[in-house]
Amino acid sequence: MALEQLSDVVQRCQALSDDSYTPEDHDVFSVSGRTCIEEGNSAQVLSLVLDEKNQDMVRCMGWTLLPPLIQVLLKKRDEKPSPCLAIFSHLLQTCRPKELLIGLLEQLEHEDPDTIAESLHLLLNPLQKVLLCLGSRKASSLGMTLSSVLDQLAKLPLPHTKEQEEDDVFSLCRCCTDLMAFVKPFVHETRQNLLSSENTNKKAGEQGGGRAAEDELQTELLKFSMKTLSHPLLELQLRDPDTLAVSPLRDFATEILNTLRAIGESVSSLVFQPLLKRKQVLGFLEEEVRYPKESLASLAHLVFVHHLAADSFPSVFSSVFCLRCNMEHVCLLLSRTEESRIQKGLELYEKSLVRLEDGSLPADLLQIKTFLTVPQNLVKVMTMCPQHDLRTRGLKVLQLSIDKFDTEAKYNFFQYMLKTSRHSGVEGYIIKNIKVQIDAALQPGNSNVWFEGSQLLPLLRKVLSLPDGPETDLLQYLDRVMESLNLLRYLVIRDKVTDNQTGIWTELYKIEDTFLKPLRVGVNMSRAHYERELHDTRATKRGKAKEESVISVSVGSEKLPNMTSDSQIQALHSALHTFDMIESVLVRIEELTAGKENL
Amino acid sequence: MADEPTRQWSDEQLKSDDLPKKDIIKFIQDNAAHSFLNEQKLLGNIKNVAKTAKKEQLIAAYNHLFESKRFLGTEPIEEVTEQVRSVKLEEKPKDVPAEVVDEVLEAGLFIYLFIHYYYYLFLCFCNFLLTGSQGPPKYFKSVLKKGDKENFPKKGDNVSCWYTGSLEDGTVFDTNIPTTARKKKQTKPLTFKVGLGRVIRGWDEGIMTMSKGETSRLEIEPEWAYGRKGLPDSKYPFLWSPLTF
Repeated sequence: MALEQLSDVVQRCQALSDDSYTPEDHDVFSVSGRTCIEEGNSAQVLSLVLDEKNQDMVRCMGWTLLPPLIQVLLKKRDEKPSPCLAIFSHLLQTCRPKELLIGLLEQLEHEDPDTIAESLHLLLNPLQKVLLCLGSRKASSLGMTLSSVLDQLAKLPLPHTKEQEEDDVFSLCRCCTDLMAFVKPFVHETRQNLLSSENTNKKAGEQGGGRAAEDELQTELLKFSMKTLSHPLLELQLRDPDTLAVSPLRDFATEILNTLRAIGESVSSLVFQPLLKRKQVLGFLEEEVRYPKESLASLAHLVFVHHLAADSFPSVFSSVFCLRCNMEHVCLLLSRTEESRIQKGLELYEKSLVRLEDGSLPADLLQIKTFLTVPQNLVKVMTMCPQHDLRTRGLKVLQLSIDKFDTEAKYNFFQYMLKTSRHSGVEGYIIKNIKVQIDAALQPGNSNVWFEGSQLLPLLRKVLSLPDGPETDLLQYLDRVMESLNLLRYLVIRDKVTDNQTGIWTELYKIEDTFLKPLRVGVNMSRAHYERELHDTRATKRGKAKEESVISVSVGSEKLPNMTSDSQIQALHSALHTFDMIESVLVRIEELTAGKENL
Repeated sequence: MADEPTRQWSDEQLKSDDLPKKDIIKFIQDNAAHSFLNEQKLLGNIKNVAKTAKKEQLIAAYNHLFESKRFLGTEPIEEVTEQVRSVKLEEKPKDVPAEVVDEVLEAGLFIYLFIHYYYYLFLCFCNFLLTGSQGPPKYFKSVLKKGDKENFPKKGDNVSCWYTGSLEDGTVFDTNIPTTARKKKQTKPLTFKVGLGRVIRGWDEGIMTMSKGETSRLEIEPEWAYGRKGLPDSKYPFLWSPLTF
């Protein structure tokens, strides 16, 4: 039935010229054509399509057959339905590029990963050929195509392990490789355009350094590269050559960097962009849009952590300058919550710090905003990130950053962190660092003005204090309180009364008032309170009078069971042990300072 | 000079899997002469050396060290190099005459620094010691081709250069000078603001002594380049030695 309809309309149109085809002719052709193909009569359709007499018609209407053809080709991947393939090839050669483009692009969109991967594999090459036929007007169509392709690519699951990358079950690696092949001729064309425009500029006597009218193709390729830097590259974990010798994803990343170079973007300028004031390029994209911050951060990570494009990156920039630029990228990455971003932020920070000598960063760097924001972001990662190894790594990087500061910078940094981190564990960690610095300053020959004498006292006063006086919740602030006590104990042991290098002995009477006395009161109060609780809980347990608690906690939709009496008793015991611990250090300090205070 | 180092491990211990490669490498690096390390390819970041060297090689090198007794400080060559370096620092710079330039070029040496700027400055003579540098400068400059001697960059100016960077033994590790005619059209000189600490100190200080159009060779000590540690974990871990641009 459909075949007859098709033959009829084809016959009829043979006699007409192509501007007198009616909309009805179009409809009949495409509907009947589709039915024939779907019913498996593609061989007949092929002969009709190949017939010389029908070429005008094919050129005009052939593209409407693309949807059913492609669907058939995608479905029957394993078989080789050669008539369909032959029809497809012929249409690609005969029909008008603009219409072919629409037909092909429509068929890219799918929902399930398998079909997406197959359609990309099938259609990228035809799309490339069609675009190359568009001549000088190809730029916007290329942009549309790339945008569509990347949208589809974003739906594919990403490999997380080396084995997953090798197996490539969802074909992401293959798609990336196909994509690089797709883009190649356009990159080449842009490079040629750049060269010839530079030559004409030179001939016209213009100074180098300013671009004339923006090349549209260049803009589209830049947009594309920037987009891929965000996705998939920022999400992926690239493997180094010694882990995975052949990595399509690493090749993909390298090709993106090469593309940037080919279209005239210097990788080092991009990486250092946060600190460089670039000249406004005549074009139709604002700078922020043109160089999205996240893409630049991804680029910095590829260059500094994976050493891609290392051959073309000048080895002349100072390590401090690299750090300053990378801090901007690190700040952005660490302010996000996705595991991939945080991990890359930590890696980039670490790699930038490792290049520096210990104690080499001066205090004036702390005037730069990112040098204060990044530690704050680090604290968030260390205290709130769900992944344990990221929390641990964050702490490691924090310590590394502290080690690179010089003494004055450390001093200022510690003050800043004590003021802003609002977390007992972090404060405790900083106080431990302060102890280390004081210890270093007291070594013969290492004396410095920051961790000794009059400068040290303001810092000590901040450390040896209780956040809420005697009512401080000692369990909540345990880390901080214990480190402060440890520091004080260390000072009274290490610094002899007769030397008083740290000034602790002259301060001691004040510390007694503002720290030790309220602490003793607090310990006693807390202990009394918890002993009471313990007594009550034991009584309740014995009496087996189960009270309904006022509060309940639910996770998901399940209510957590109330704490058993035994667990409660255990918790109360450990609280009491904590108070004992605090008290023991207090007593020790008293012993050490007995009688010496009034000297 | 310290006493001769003694063997730390027996043959059994060396071959055992309990002894990591890194320990052997560290021992050899701590105790062997520079030239020995160079020959045995044991220079540089321990992690990187561990990746490239096999355990057998390391054991062989360890034994060879004790046989040849080429310990740290025994090489007369090292001392001579030190002396030569200090001599260079004290010399006043002379304009290199044309014959020497030819010799230098014939020897196959590297740097060609062309400088152009965009800002004109007041006249000053090429100074070896710069204002603002503390202590003796840690680089040595030899002029290969004179500039206009009038236009010197000041802090914050944009400068553009063509450069080639190499190690003491002549290995080129970085350059922006195009090798082929085709690439010549594509490459641009490296442009940056001088004197702001964006580049290694040897560059910042050295370039400010160069006038427009000048070509010079800068031999930079590690302290004013990437430090004694170099750039660990990077593709070029060897950048701890003195660099020549």
